[in-house]
Amino acid sequence: MSAPQPRPITILIAALGGEGGGVLTDWIASAAAQLDFPVQSTSIPGVAQRTGATTYYIEIVPVPARELPARPVLALAPGVGDVDIVLASELMEAGRTIAGGFVTPNHTLVIASTARSYLVVEKMAMGDGRYDSARLIKAVETNAQSHLLLDMNALAKQSGAMINAVMLGLIAGCGRVPIPAAAFERAIRADGKAVDANLKGFRGGLDAATNANARPAVSGIANEARAAADADALVALERAIVMPAAARDVVLAGARRLAAYQDLAYAQLYLDRLAPIRAADARVGAGGRLVRETARHLAVRMSYEDVIRVAQAKIDPARLPRIAAAVGVSPDEPFTVTEFLKPGVEELCSLLPPRLAERILATAERHGLLARLHWGMEVNSASVSGFLRFWLLAKLRGWRPKSYRFQQEQHAIEAWLRRIAEAARLSGDLALEVADCARLIKGYGETLQRGTANYRLIETRIIRPILAGGIPLALGIDAIASARSAALADPEGEALTRCLAEIDQRGSASIAAE
Amino acid sequence: MERSFKKEVQALTLGEGETFRGEGILAVTKALLQSGVSYVGGYQGAPVSHLLDVLVDAEDIIGDLGVHLETCTNEASAAAMLGASINYPLRGAVTWKSIVGTNVAADALSNLASPGVLGGVMIILGEDYGEGASVIQERSYAYAMKSSMWLIDPRPDLPTIVRMVEEGFELSEASHAPVMMELRIRACHVTGEFKTKANRRGAFSGKNRLAGPPRFDYGRLAHPPVIYSQERLKVEQRLPAAQQFIRARKLNEVIAGDHADVGIIVLGGLTNGVLRALARLDLADLYGASRIPLYVLNVGFPLVPEELREFCAGKRAVLVVEEGSPDYIEQAVNVELRRADIATRVLGKGTLPRAGEYTSEVLLNALASFLAEVRPAGIDVDAIAARAKSLLAPKAAAMAAVGDIPARPPNFCTGCPERPVFSAIKLMQRELGPTHISADIGCHSFATFAPFSLGNSILGYGMSLASAAAVTPNMDRRPIAVMGDGGFWHNGLITGVASNLFNKGDGVLIVMKNGYASATGQQYLPSSAANRIGAPTGMTIEQTLLSLGVKWLRTVRSYSVAKMTKTLKAAMRSAEHGLKVIIADGECQLARQRRVRAEDAEKLKRGKRVVRVRFGVDDEICTGDHSCIRLSGCPSLTVKPNPDPLRSDPVATVIESCVGCGLCGEVAHAAVLCPSFYRAEIIRNPNWWDRALHRVRARIIGVFAPRRAEARA
Repeated sequence: MSAPQPRPITILIAALGGEGGGVLTDWIASAAAQLDFPVQSTSIPGVAQRTGATTYYIEIVPVPARELPARPVLALAPGVGDVDIVLASELMEAGRTIAGGFVTPNHTLVIASTARSYLVVEKMAMGDGRYDSARLIKAVETNAQSHLLLDMNALAKQSGAMINAVMLGLIAGCGRVPIPAAAFERAIRADGKAVDANLKGFRGGLDAATNANARPAVSGIANEARAAADADALVALERAIVMPAAARDVVLAGARRLAAYQDLAYAQLYLDRLAPIRAADARVGAGGRLVRETARHLAVRMSYEDVIRVAQAKIDPARLPRIAAAVGVSPDEPFTVTEFLKPGVEELCSLLPPRLAERILATAERHGLLARLHWGMEVNSASVSGFLRFWLLAKLRGWRPKSYRFQQEQHAIEAWLRRIAEAARLSGDLALEVADCARLIKGYGETLQRGTANYRLIETRIIRPILAGGIPLALGIDAIASARSAALADPEGEALTRCLAEIDQRGSASIAAE
Repeated sequence: MERSFKKEVQALTLGEGETFRGEGILAVTKALLQSGVSYVGGYQGAPVSHLLDVLVDAEDIIGDLGVHLETCTNEASAAAMLGASINYPLRGAVTWKSIVGTNVAADALSNLASPGVLGGVMIILGEDYGEGASVIQERSYAYAMKSSMWLIDPRPDLPTIVRMVEEGFELSEASHAPVMMELRIRACHVTGEFKTKANRRGAFSGKNRLAGPPRFDYGRLAHPPVIYSQERLKVEQRLPAAQQFIRARKLNEVIAGDHADVGIIVLGGLTNGVLRALARLDLADLYGASRIPLYVLNVGFPLVPEELREFCAGKRAVLVVEEGSPDYIEQAVNVELRRADIATRVLGKGTLPRAGEYTSEVLLNALASFLAEVRPAGIDVDAIAARAKSLLAPKAAAMAAVGDIPARPPNFCTGCPERPVFSAIKLMQRELGPTHISADIGCHSFATFAPFSLGNSILGYGMSLASAAAVTPNMDRRPIAVMGDGGFWHNGLITGVASNLFNKGDGVLIVMKNGYASATGQQYLPSSAANRIGAPTGMTIEQTLLSLGVKWLRTVRSYSVAKMTKTLKAAMRSAEHGLKVIIADGECQLARQRRVRAEDAEKLKRGKRVVRVRFGVDDEICTGDHSCIRLSGCPSLTVKPNPDPLRSDPVATVIESCVGCGLCGEVAHAAVLCPSFYRAEIIRNPNWWDRALHRVRARIIGVFAPRRAEARA
């Protein structure tokens, strides 16, 4: 066997179907071929081409073939602990290569995008089902010999290219592949497709890699600061707010929202409702956490979603410019915005006076029309007639407090606040859990009904028993937490039913034990 | 087609002594032309779709060679096509995805192998096994053994693959038996280079036609009584002839090693993996020289007893490396050595896993434990074991660090016309309750993944309706069979529809009419708008069904979720007995986009008016419940952090990749979701009326526009 031999440079590319990983692989291979470096690539496209996870594997012998004694035999699949460079177009796919054992501290450079393309299972969760990005980033930092984390989508957008061109630039600039940038550029030119855009993307990646101080540009959406209204009065009201530092920003945001949602009086009511919670917070030494959480949920609950609020949002003067930016409309391009609305009997009744609403709802209920009776409409809010419809609806704001739904909501909110206060007498943590249950109540139509029903279940089956001493405190606190996440597990409510059954058992068991 | 091979096609014209650079499967195509084939055909499927796609793009080139190309409607018709080589000195090749394609072709293959062939016959099998595979995991090897066809499993480098194609034809002719060549997924897509030869014309072809049939010869038929003599011919003449040819041409390779007391018997396709594992243990070098002797079986069946004995003679033990189960080769080796009364120990399954792909990790472990077990003279096996251990050690910690990452299965493309159909099925089931859904092969099988998770069985390509035949009479609710137009023409028409009508069956059949065999790369179908030459096919699914006698037939635009839901309910509730067929009509969005994008770009260049449609979500109206996603799963409908400081759940959002298919709006209405969706229609190159209208609207709205304070909620 011949003595010292070159070791092939091994590159594992993790990407999603449709990102052009095949083209990227060909570019790299043809760049290597220009230098007469023996190179071999393989892939497993199959149906993964349809947005699924897929990988490409490349081996390059960094010595001209003519200087080698024989043709190298290269591997078709990456080896655990034998990969020099992992290039991932998406953070979780980088994580997948780590889980596969292809990232090792002794010699793997990981070049990965911090951008996430969420899995369906993450997106479809009823609450927040996103995988912990911080954990993925930490895994890269701790398991790779060296790493370069950056938002490749952002880079691609900047340079107006596909992500694969950017990735090629990153490979060229990573310093582990002895192939000059010029060779990669020639590969792009030889390919002959979208040459200019690809070259731009390539340079974008190249620069990002060469000044490798490129830190994770964690993609977060800037909070559009909510503009304050009715200046002076609101300011006065805000000044009057006495709240623990930990809660102040939230309470402020809440007050502003409600002033805009209804009026100053409503904002004042919000603050008054928080006063006893503040006291309780101080009593149990929750350090403002109880007020903060309650204030957050209370503001959302008091600004419940009804037709009027939807109308307000749809005619918000800041909206059209925001849409124009989002969908990429250039100034000289006219555009229309069609809204999809399907109000039903309940939405209608929510605006009527309580007695009338109750009567209509009862009738509808009797004839089983509640679920069936809806008016589907598509309204162009950028047209005069369409805009005016929303404008008129928004004008109903003054009437809102007299409406059926408003009164219903206020009752429910008062009841919830009472529970929090009662809970606070037993423990701050319990109060927090109770407050957090408001998270279940959100949305419209079916979603709202489901959430409300789940909340009631948890209240009657767990919270009340705890307050009545039926369930021991410690057990009760995590019972609420687990029931809440169970309620958000599946729309059919199977998880919650199971969870409640378990709690009943444990409850009775622990009672027996005492 | 999804991918154009206009560039690759040029490689097929390379002449004597030039260098071919490209994918393994394209090298095979070039090798076929170098072998003077008179006809080629097959049925698309990963990993061999490219072989056919490239030939379609190369039709004029192969036309000059007189090669006939048949894009068959299924693997059975492809296999039957090989019948041309039974009587005539015509070389022919067909290709398909195995194991599934070979299953479909099996009947014709048996009837081909029994009389045997005069012209060389080569079947290129895409062995869809291991990572990236999309079919049940079985070995094609069994077919070779039972039908006396020879199975080539070449080392996955281009020169070897090309040589095996060329000499494979000679093997076929020398032994009068069909030859199969199996290429695993990575081998099909492996890139490399080889020195080309000039393309050859077949002795007879479209350019030089046969005068007529031979004298009547009963022996060429697969029919009694000759089937009995043919059975003998297979084992008494063809098998020995093949073994002799393989030995004479040295199709199998021996890599001598200095540790001659042990050895490894490996299938050609797995050789690179084994050599790399040996190299990582310092027992092989970069150029394929190994210190442990290797017997590389480029021909997996038949084995050559003499070669086997020579390799094993004087060895204490050998390791047989073959993927999957049963361990056919290990068994054969044991039998052969026993017959020859050679005492060499045979290790295989047990040291290697009985099932699953032989990844680098598996091979590294297996080789280490093989050596530890047989302890060859002059190797510090403990050091080897320690090394293997240390090479794989970091994996455990790494896995713990990332936690168990959920799988990312393939999904319907953005704007796919099949997704809305499953939204409709989900909505229908909310009202009528769940029913049995027999799924099929094709893009629509992605509905078995989240968010739909629909489908109770998959019985094969075009088999969905047939697989519901015994469910229907035993279930209260009508089952729904889902089938693509690909599966419909592949065999669903006969095995499903005809059989159902013939048996006065009941049930609901949904046919996804997207116009192509989409999952495999948008190849044309009998019901495509045009065939590969661009001429209309003159075949439609509707006419076909009516002519068969289908009474209840509805065609629904697949994006109209409400209408589809209504039609489904009608089909489920209908009192009349009999098959109810719903054709979901919507062109494959991948194909459509490729066309429309080009057209729009052209219009924009010429300053023509173009309307671009995009959907969006209002952050503050979306409550982060994500029902919309549970009814869609579109890649361009995703989530983002909630911009509202008072709410924590992420809100839905539509990203640039949106093609404005309209599903979001349809679902929002049909399922009565929140009012946060909007459809933006942007007019590019607007005419004067567009501008005027826009200006007027903006002005009037400006007058009414509320002060921000009121607006903000």
